[in-house]
Amino acid sequence: MAGAARAPGAAAARESAGLAFTGEMYGVQLDHLAAVLGVPQRRAAAIVARWRRAGLAEAQRLGPGPRWAWLTKAGLARCGLPFAPGAPGLARLAHLRAVTAARLALAGTPQYAAGAARWRSERRIRARIGGRLGLREHVPDAEVAWPDGAPVGWAGECWAIEAEITPKTVARTAAIMRELLTRTGDYGCPPAEVLVPGRPARHDRAIYLCSPPALPVAARARARLGDLGARVEIRPLPPGAAWPAPGGAP
Amino acid sequence: MARAGGRAVTGRRLALPAARAAGRAALAAAAVAALAALAPATIVAAGALAAAWLRGWPPRRLAGAAAWCGPMVAAWLAGTALASPAPAWLAVAEAPGRAWLAFWHLAAAGAVARAAATAAPPAIPAGLALGALGWSYRIRSLRSGAGGLSPAAAAAFDRRQWRHQVRAARARIAAPGAVPLTTRGGLLVAGAVIRSVGHRTGPLAAIGYQRMRSHQVVIGTTGTGKTTLLLRLWAGFIAAGLARSAAGLGAPPLLVVLDCKGGADARRIAERARRVLREAGARSVAVWPDEASLCLWSLPPRQLTTTLVDLIEHGTGGAAYYADVMEALVALAVEAPCGPPRSAADLLARLEPGWLSAAYAGAGTGGDHALIRSASRHLADVALRFRTLARRLGGGLDGPGGFGDADAWYCILEGTDQVPVAEGQARALVDLLASFAAGGAQGREILLAVDEFSAVSRRLPVWQLYERARSLGLAVQVSAQSWQGLAPSDGERSRIAAAAEGGIWLLRTPCPEPVTALAGSRAAVQTTRWLRRFPVWAHRGSSRPEQVPVVDPAIIRQLDVGQAAYIYRGGVTYVQVRRLVAGPAGLGRGAPRAAGQAPAPAGGARGAASARHGPGAGRGGCREELPDVSPVLDAAFGPEPEPPGPGAGP
Repeated sequence: MAGAARAPGAAAARESAGLAFTGEMYGVQLDHLAAVLGVPQRRAAAIVARWRRAGLAEAQRLGPGPRWAWLTKAGLARCGLPFAPGAPGLARLAHLRAVTAARLALAGTPQYAAGAARWRSERRIRARIGGRLGLREHVPDAEVAWPDGAPVGWAGECWAIEAEITPKTVARTAAIMRELLTRTGDYGCPPAEVLVPGRPARHDRAIYLCSPPALPVAARARARLGDLGARVEIRPLPPGAAWPAPGGAP
Repeated sequence: MARAGGRAVTGRRLALPAARAAGRAALAAAAVAALAALAPATIVAAGALAAAWLRGWPPRRLAGAAAWCGPMVAAWLAGTALASPAPAWLAVAEAPGRAWLAFWHLAAAGAVARAAATAAPPAIPAGLALGALGWSYRIRSLRSGAGGLSPAAAAAFDRRQWRHQVRAARARIAAPGAVPLTTRGGLLVAGAVIRSVGHRTGPLAAIGYQRMRSHQVVIGTTGTGKTTLLLRLWAGFIAAGLARSAAGLGAPPLLVVLDCKGGADARRIAERARRVLREAGARSVAVWPDEASLCLWSLPPRQLTTTLVDLIEHGTGGAAYYADVMEALVALAVEAPCGPPRSAADLLARLEPGWLSAAYAGAGTGGDHALIRSASRHLADVALRFRTLARRLGGGLDGPGGFGDADAWYCILEGTDQVPVAEGQARALVDLLASFAAGGAQGREILLAVDEFSAVSRRLPVWQLYERARSLGLAVQVSAQSWQGLAPSDGERSRIAAAAEGGIWLLRTPCPEPVTALAGSRAAVQTTRWLRRFPVWAHRGSSRPEQVPVVDPAIIRQLDVGQAAYIYRGGVTYVQVRRLVAGPAGLGRGAPRAAGQAPAPAGGARGAASARHGPGAGRGGCREELPDVSPVLDAAFGPEPEPPGPGAGP
């Protein structure tokens, strides 16, 4: 009886986490949401339908693959997320999918759970910055913070996550890498704190997750950084970052 | 008969002055009548003259104002022509006369405001032009010595006008927003113009960015506003350089300041510079060696050898032999087969016979081994000298970091307290910057500003720095307290001044003549006047052209705080410098560094190594190790892919 009573509670907690996840990532596709909720994709579609009826979310087919779900103003308020509501931009769908896949892949590792790492999404960073984003400032796709005392060797570190689908120029990529690795202040801090020589860098590493065309560019950009390049890790995007094969969408 | 002739001559002598006086009176009466008739224009001209006198304006400013009235006059004439039934040309021709008549009619009827409005379109430009003519006549007559009641009137007039001009310039810089850091055209604004000779200036003293990319000299004693001027120039260089870079017109700027005074004052100025430069757009300002470090050991091995040997003072004559021995041993230690040293401690460890023999055991040539054997008895002495050098240089040159890591570097050299230390540091910093510039400078446009360089110039003369910098494409701005402080000899000082293509900024200094002479002279008219009886001078005398100095040394001696003379191409502009007011210092400053602790790199990295490079890779003395994160990244995303080979597809 007790187990039967816990099960609905756990499901509700998962749904709440899924709702917050959707809000943090601008929007997610149903296959990714299903992975977050730990349910089949059909069940995830039913949950999203319930959210829609409650006015918490919207869902629509915006591009290839399954439908996208995103939170309405009421949904964001329910999660306590101080973001402006809106559907994910069509031009950014592939990028958003890649970042979500990266988050799911990292969250699926035992070290992530054991280290109680925290994913800070781009939307959350931008919300902290508000309208004060400098013209020359680059915002990473996410930050991953590993708390001090976590049972991992890199406890206390903060990583900048970059998902690269289309290759930029080597110079531009190197400039972004350098900026990520030399920044000292949090996003939204006073301009005087952004880059203070002598202070520890905000990001201990920059993790570049690249599509096959972007990989050589990232590697060459890292080589340009010299010693600083030692703090750049380059990996391929996880398989879930690509658009799913047609026919599997509900 | 003779008496009658004498009476006639006397009569003519008396009649002539009387006739002249009558003529003058008639002329004056006619002029007064004409001015009264042209009352509207006369009133404007009087106002313009009073304003020009009070504000110390040049006549061309009034003439310019009259010219700017052109559109108003054109619109008025067009309106008059459209409203008149007469032909347009006739209406336009009659318009000034009709306005004049209407003015008097309305004034007689008591409608003064309407009368003024009716006469304004033609009267304002005419009055301003009249005022410009009158003001120009007044200035020229006084400058030539012909005007005024006494010959001293010209000097009094000039002093009074200087006071008025200073007051106007101060009022201008006090107005919020009146003196921007840069103009829309990308010019650097230093302040408000007090007066200019030989320069065509507006109300603001502005110089082009390219002048900051040329060598400059700044001379001024302590407390004259030299730091304020320098901060403004540096901030303008950064702001204009960043704007040009953003527009694709040039590379990003890099400012390197060597403050050779040191002490608490230098640190206060460094903090002020940091705030000012940040507001100008610099994202990072590194203060060396307090908060950031540079890596001397990142120099290419051969250059590192040269720099290390140059940092040690050598004698001449027989001592040159020991210098050669030292250079050979240092070259062996630096260019060893296992790579160059990574820190001062590493270098000292290498200056041991055992280390050199082991390092060259398998790879050295026969000459190397012979040199190690023959010179090993000197190794202890060489190591001793480099141990002293390392102590002098401190940890600021032993850490990670490079000039490319920040937009601006403020390097503090203790040239007042520890001259030998500052000399060594200056030499090393300049070598590092030269290496950075010679290596392409990461596409940066560099300005090296050297404040009080005389403190360390014994080991690196400024003229040598100038010539070396010119070959590397970086600009040097040298400042000193006096002309004599620039260099020890007149020849060197002249070479410095000759290379200052970006101009010379001269603040108050007790002996300005050598610098003012550099501006040259200009032609002026000097007039002598006949003294009738004191204090009455006749308006008769003789004039002749003379060459007078462009820059008056007396003005330089009397310059107030914040006033500077900018000498460039035979002209001078006296400037009231606008002080840059920066925001308060950022909160939450980094924790002070403990004594003996190495400063952090400018890049701010906690360390720059990774497991991928391994502890022995690269210059380990410049970085620490980070833990290996491959397990989690490999588990999440897979291993790092191999880079595609040269024959790989697109």
